[in-house]
Amino acid sequence: MIVKEFRELLRDRRTLGLLVGLPLILLVIFGYAANFYVDHVSAAVVGPQAAQVAASLPDFFEVETVDADATEADARDLLRDDEVDVAVVTTGGGTPTALIDGSNLFAAQSILGAVNATAGKIEPEVLYNPDLTTAWVMVPAIIGLILTFIGTIVTSIGLVREREAGTLEQLAVMPIKPGTVILGKIAPYFLLAAIDMAVVTVLGMLLFDVPFNGNVLVFALGAAIFLFAVLGIGVFISTISQTAGQAIQSAFFVLLPQILLSGMIFPLDAMAAGVRWIGYILPLTYFTKISQGVMLRGAGIDSLWPSFVVLTVMAVVIFTAATLRFRRDLAPERKARA
Amino acid sequence: MSGDVALRADAVTRRFGHFTAVSDVSIEVGHGEVVGLLGANGAGKTTLMRMLLGLLPVSDGAVTMLGGPPNRERRRRVGYVPQNLGLYRDLTLAENLDFVAETYGTAVPSLPDDLLPYAKVLVGSMPLGAQRQAAFVAALSHGPELVLLDEPTSGVDALARARLWDTIRAQSDEGVGVLVTTHYMQEAQQCDRLLLMSHGELVAQGSEADVVGDTRALSVRTDDWSATFAALNAAGVPVILDGRAVRVADTDPARVREILAAAGIDGAIEPVAATIEERMLVLARA
Repeated sequence: MIVKEFRELLRDRRTLGLLVGLPLILLVIFGYAANFYVDHVSAAVVGPQAAQVAASLPDFFEVETVDADATEADARDLLRDDEVDVAVVTTGGGTPTALIDGSNLFAAQSILGAVNATAGKIEPEVLYNPDLTTAWVMVPAIIGLILTFIGTIVTSIGLVREREAGTLEQLAVMPIKPGTVILGKIAPYFLLAAIDMAVVTVLGMLLFDVPFNGNVLVFALGAAIFLFAVLGIGVFISTISQTAGQAIQSAFFVLLPQILLSGMIFPLDAMAAGVRWIGYILPLTYFTKISQGVMLRGAGIDSLWPSFVVLTVMAVVIFTAATLRFRRDLAPERKARA
Repeated sequence: MSGDVALRADAVTRRFGHFTAVSDVSIEVGHGEVVGLLGANGAGKTTLMRMLLGLLPVSDGAVTMLGGPPNRERRRRVGYVPQNLGLYRDLTLAENLDFVAETYGTAVPSLPDDLLPYAKVLVGSMPLGAQRQAAFVAALSHGPELVLLDEPTSGVDALARARLWDTIRAQSDEGVGVLVTTHYMQEAQQCDRLLLMSHGELVAQGSEADVVGDTRALSVRTDDWSATFAALNAAGVPVILDGRAVRVADTDPARVREILAAAGIDGAIEPVAATIEERMLVLARA
């Protein structure tokens, strides 16, 4: 029995990958990425005494902008647009104020500690999340996670079930275009995910008082693009899986890095560069930037456009590749490649 | 090429890497003709059928379906019942038929009397015989000119099988060409013409006698059929059970006597007409 089990396991590459690959992935992730401590933050210093104050800041603050002519309004714009983590506003003779981006929770906590350490030389003011409530930061990210769950696991299982039941072959025989089949299969999941997203967003606002400071349409646009990307991943997984079990295993490999490396739990800035790059190729990273930006900072498309562009490119590439693969099952080539 | 040909394969071959699943097979199915495609498991029947439908590209050769290469427009005129039926198990029978009718743009087919009680039952909860009958109703609902059936009666009882064959016959009487794969020899006898595949090749075609060819068979009657079967099987002889008798294919009677003598078994050996099953057994062991 034991020998039989080993033989089966050795031939089941996905399970083997899960058994051998997963511990390695977890080790690497928790070793290099699991770090809540942010050791440097990007900063701007504005106002008449910007140069003097900037010079006096500890190394923890990586000062990117020093502008004596800029005002507090300009500083708030920099924070809203996620250009910096903290903006120190100086006045003629009073105490400078450090405006801190509370939507970047761990960076904000570190900044608050550093500012408090100045013993009153700088006054802190946390924006967007004054009490540094974890739920305010997590809820926008959880919305993305739910969309990822539906897009990858639920969609891939739904499509694989069609293959398992043999109905995919029947659809290929029927006078129904592959594009119509793909649209018909994906549209319900898209709609359900959209409803889930709306419910979770509203519940997050009601239960945890998470604010929604931005434009709903910008948020919806980001969610729709993101949904195409994760649905594409789900469709792709279905094309490499023969059974629902295989689809779940494959989806797990996609979900895990999204949860751990997208910046949702561990701040990207605190990760080692060796694993941080993985975060930058994950769709959830960019959706989280959009959802937190819109909901907490009230950011518009003018400041979030880089995330929109990256997400759109990802969605187009992933969705196109996945649907082309899926299409092969429904409309085979005229000539075999063998 | 005859104008009465509904489906034709010209020297089709399908390779998967270095493995050749179907090799140089040429067949025809005429309108109004029921052609049985026989062969052991792994003989290449399903691969051939998928190529004929255009679901699997050919490596070499050509398929002509209803006057041209198989494509979506021509498949519209084809009815297909795959091995696993192709019905949605989580939908009721009525919902399945609604979907098919909407896809083909036809009226929802009326159910035969014996399926009426299942109209609002989930297909997955229906008995297998009823499921297969429902698959027939769905596949024939748009009035196809050609029907392909992959093991359509597998796992159903004799009565349900007879009912399904009535349906197949009714279709052929209306001029529909039917290609059907089957394991059941009684069903093979109901076909107008038979094709026999072995190891990916078409090894015989025609009537039952043509398919059996020069295969010889012996009936061996002894007091202990079990010991007889075991002795002959252990000696590597193609052997099958026929009630309490044992049948041996393509083996010299002297060789059979020698095996029985060595096993200490007395028995009567007589030549009998070989069956398709015995021909398949000989081919499978070749």
